[in-house]
Amino acid sequence: MVLRIVLGLLMTAVAFAVAGRRLAMLYRIGRAAQPVEPGRTRGVPARLRAELTEVLGQRKLLTWTVPGVAHVLAFWGFLVLALTIVEGYGALFQRDFHLPLIGTQPWLGFLEDLFTVATLVSVLVFAAIRVRHSPAREGRRSRFFGSHLDAAWLVLFMIFNVVWSLLLYRGAQINTGNFPYASGAFASEAVARLIHPLGAGANDVIETAGLLLAIGIILLFLVLVVHSKHLHIFTAVANVGFGRRPRALGALLPVYSGGKPVDFEDPGEDDRIGRSSIEDFTWKGMLDFATCTECGRCQSQCPAWNTGKPLSPKTLIMGLRDHALAAAPYLLAEDKSKVDALAAAAAQTPLVGTEGVVHPDVLWSCTTCGACVEQCPVDIEHIDHIVDMRRYQVLMESEFPPEAGVLLRNLEHAGDPWGRGAGARTEWTDGLDFPVRTLDGERIPDDVEYLFWVGCAGAFDDRAQRTSRAVAELLHTAGVEFAVLGSGETCTGDPARRIGNELLFQQLAAQNVQTLNGAGVRRIVATCAHCFNTLANEYPQLGGHYEVLHHTQLLSRLVADGRLVPVTPVGATITYHDPCYLGRHNRVFTPPREILGTLPGTRLAEPQRTRETSFCCGAGGARMWLDETIGTRINETRTDELLAAEPDVVAAACPYCVDMLADGVALRQQQGRTGAHVTVTDVAEVLLRSVREPAANDHRRA
Amino acid sequence: MKIAVLIKYVPEATAAWRFAGDHALDRDSVDGRLSELDEYAVEQALRLAEAGAATEIGYLTMGPPRAVDAVRKALAMGGDRAVHVLDDALHGTDAAGTSLVLAAALRRMEADLVVCGMASTDAEMAVLPAMVAERLGITAVVNAAALRVEDSTIVAERDTDDATEEVVAPLPALVSVTDRSGEARYPSFKGIVAAKKKPVTTWTLADLGIEPGRVGSAGAATQVLAVRPSPPREAGTVITDEGDAAARLADFLAANKLL
Ligand SMILES: Cc1cc2nc3c(=O)[nH]c(=O)nc-3n(C[C@H](O)[C@H](O)[C@H](O)COP(=O)(O)OP(=O)(O)OC[C@H]3O[C@@H](n4cnc5c(N)ncnc54)[C@H](O)[C@@H]3O)c2cc1C
Ligand code: SF4
Ligand code: SF4
Repeated sequence: MVLRIVLGLLMTAVAFAVAGRRLAMLYRIGRAAQPVEPGRTRGVPARLRAELTEVLGQRKLLTWTVPGVAHVLAFWGFLVLALTIVEGYGALFQRDFHLPLIGTQPWLGFLEDLFTVATLVSVLVFAAIRVRHSPAREGRRSRFFGSHLDAAWLVLFMIFNVVWSLLLYRGAQINTGNFPYASGAFASEAVARLIHPLGAGANDVIETAGLLLAIGIILLFLVLVVHSKHLHIFTAVANVGFGRRPRALGALLPVYSGGKPVDFEDPGEDDRIGRSSIEDFTWKGMLDFATCTECGRCQSQCPAWNTGKPLSPKTLIMGLRDHALAAAPYLLAEDKSKVDALAAAAAQTPLVGTEGVVHPDVLWSCTTCGACVEQCPVDIEHIDHIVDMRRYQVLMESEFPPEAGVLLRNLEHAGDPWGRGAGARTEWTDGLDFPVRTLDGERIPDDVEYLFWVGCAGAFDDRAQRTSRAVAELLHTAGVEFAVLGSGETCTGDPARRIGNELLFQQLAAQNVQTLNGAGVRRIVATCAHCFNTLANEYPQLGGHYEVLHHTQLLSRLVADGRLVPVTPVGATITYHDPCYLGRHNRVFTPPREILGTLPGTRLAEPQRTRETSFCCGAGGARMWLDETIGTRINETRTDELLAAEPDVVAAACPYCVDMLADGVALRQQQGRTGAHVTVTDVAEVLLRSVREPAANDHRRA
Repeated sequence: MKIAVLIKYVPEATAAWRFAGDHALDRDSVDGRLSELDEYAVEQALRLAEAGAATEIGYLTMGPPRAVDAVRKALAMGGDRAVHVLDDALHGTDAAGTSLVLAAALRRMEADLVVCGMASTDAEMAVLPAMVAERLGITAVVNAAALRVEDSTIVAERDTDDATEEVVAPLPALVSVTDRSGEARYPSFKGIVAAKKKPVTTWTLADLGIEPGRVGSAGAATQVLAVRPSPPREAGTVITDEGDAAARLADFLAANKLL
């Protein structure tokens, strides 16, 4: 017994010392990081709900059935197995130790064994998944491509060891009469039967040796966990708890420095704008990096990665973590001259640069589509980190792809990406047979229900102008009074913000908020998913509070209320593409489908990736205005995915998606890879076709 | 070596321009900017400074009060100081008058090299470089596409229709640069903040010792009689191919004396 106690406690002390040192170091990195912006603890009920659904319920993991279920088994297995650890430590001191109150109940014995077996099953499933989807077999397509593979296998092997050593000592305990459960523990009993013939003496030894072995393996596992991606076992709860709620999508956060918003009119001397180095990240950023499980779910959905670009949200986060750890000795050292050269070199590596931690091609490949954030089971906030790094590059270094200069200058001087200027904002109304009420600086009249936010694309882009006209005509038909700002509208600032030019965003947004508030606008309808997102989610940051609807929301309401009646059969199979900023970022999935579903003579064919897992068209994150020179083109990849559903009409609900997909379909038609009849259009245009009498359609097809 | 860069505050190209009662452009009613072509001049000066050829860059503008916006923009790109010639009497000044004022100011600024744009983006006369150089009695090298300083001379490359020529001129000199000289930098926020602290000196005509009668509409050699908006562009002719598109296209070109 004494040996048992001494050895057990000695092992524990050593393991706790090693693990503790590591944890203390990780904690100090977190402390050295920037304070987080306010609001990370606000809304406790939503945070608790997230812990319940995402941690305990493993909601995001379960969207992938097989690995999800396996993880549920492992996760719950570990929760239950924590009891056996307590029992094990108790048994160090008292051979027949049992937990108080419920410690001898057969159901508990059964539960423990059930989850021990479940954990074993999960290990086998994980191993199978890792073999089947190994990067060696699947290359870049594998979600494990770029993950630390050896460490992952080691962890699986260790979990396997935990399970068998536990069963071994529990079996021996039964044979020596020290087991707390008279029945229920079926697996332990099976092992007991197996080793019973060895005799009482041997079982005595196995009991002690097995116990020490099991504790030793658990402790080794602990040390391994804090040194690997398995740290998420401890950090995931905190990361989910402090995450942006409901999710880190939709709005981008303003620029914070030292936990306070930066005033661009009068910045503080020491304000840090964006992230220039690893210490500029907040502790929540560090927690994100520490929590990444390297599962690659994000990578598997990332449009950049899927089209051969160097950006993978997973390797980006892993790279930042590895860099933080490499630089930590230097960053945390009191006397920097004594730090070893490697750590000092790591600390001095630029964060972004061709020789830096993050290659510029990685940084600029992101479309901010949100697929990664949506997928991540531990709620890592990739987009925020990417945009924060872009912010430093653009605002402090003026470093960005040269093409972006045209975009930024046009936004600055003309107020729109095309450089057309306010004077041309109402040209899209040409050809409508009713006048569109234009505020041009006036207050909104009382009888006007909605301000129609046309958007830059809606005003200047040929295809989007058609959508603007279709929406105007539908509203007019339904008797909805609306008005437009006309020359008073400027770009919402979405591309400026997403490329990292927060200053320009603030200027454009402030101007629009002033115009909207000055005109007394309360309700807005927008056709552009990006405008919609910015108006609804970001303008409140600048004092602009409006009820913002996407046109598909308003139109589906008008159809449901009978104010718009689709009569003319469309006669087409329609495949709807969820725009990222409408779907994932804002959860508007149903209205466009409701509209399309009510049209006579239509069949909806869903593409394989749809709704939450919709695949970006390639235009978000200001990528619309950048050249796409690396890998294959995102819009072509998405076009092929949509065409696989064999539609006659590809419908989208965002002008940039329509543009991107129309280009993609046109290319495939040119190549003879799809029928000449396939068209790409906005949902509103399809609705309009059905609302109009057949004759009117023929007459006005142009 | 000190460089002076001439920069002009011009109306935004996409904005609606208005004209005052005296037919001069009403520069207060319309949003303005640093002339895009002058951004190239600023860029070239900054590159010379970065190459170690210049020690100080000063900007000079003549324009309405809001012209400081253009000055701040240039200072955000880089450079050290700026001079703004501001005087009510300047309203309506023509090219000759402008060059008189700019030359007087440049004399006070004591620059070894004057860099300016090839033309403004509003009036687009492209005459000031030559006029200013003439008044200062220094060499003018116009429409340079590349620029470097080699032991107290300035070497400029000029693109002509069939060759690129390299021109050498002794300093002091004036060079105007084209939009092919190299993409102008985008000012960083750091630059914008720094620009707020850089000195901008305002000079009046009196400071320059110029009689008000020599500038403004009174001093102008020309008189604007009327300002009319240009007629809206007519819609083009669309030829849809019904088998005879080529012939009709040829007819159209012939009818318009293009063939
Ligand atoms: C509507 C309108 C009517 C006009 N009518 C007349 C007229 O009838 N007669 C007449 O002579 N002029 C007229 N002007 C021209 C006006 O006086 C010119 O703007 C001025 O003389 C400068 O000429 P520019 O802009 O064509 O300069 P350019 O010669 O095209 O400019 C070349 C470079 O000189 C520098 N530069 C030019 N102006 C300035 C400045 N103010 N400050 C600093 N640097 C400068 C810049 O570097 C610029 O790139 C008119 C202008 C307008 C807009
Ligand atoms: S936001 Fe989209 S493009 Fe950017 S990293 Fe995430 S998945 Fe990739
Ligand atoms: S960022 Fe999230 S989804 Fe991506 S690998 Fe890490 S844990 Fe998985």
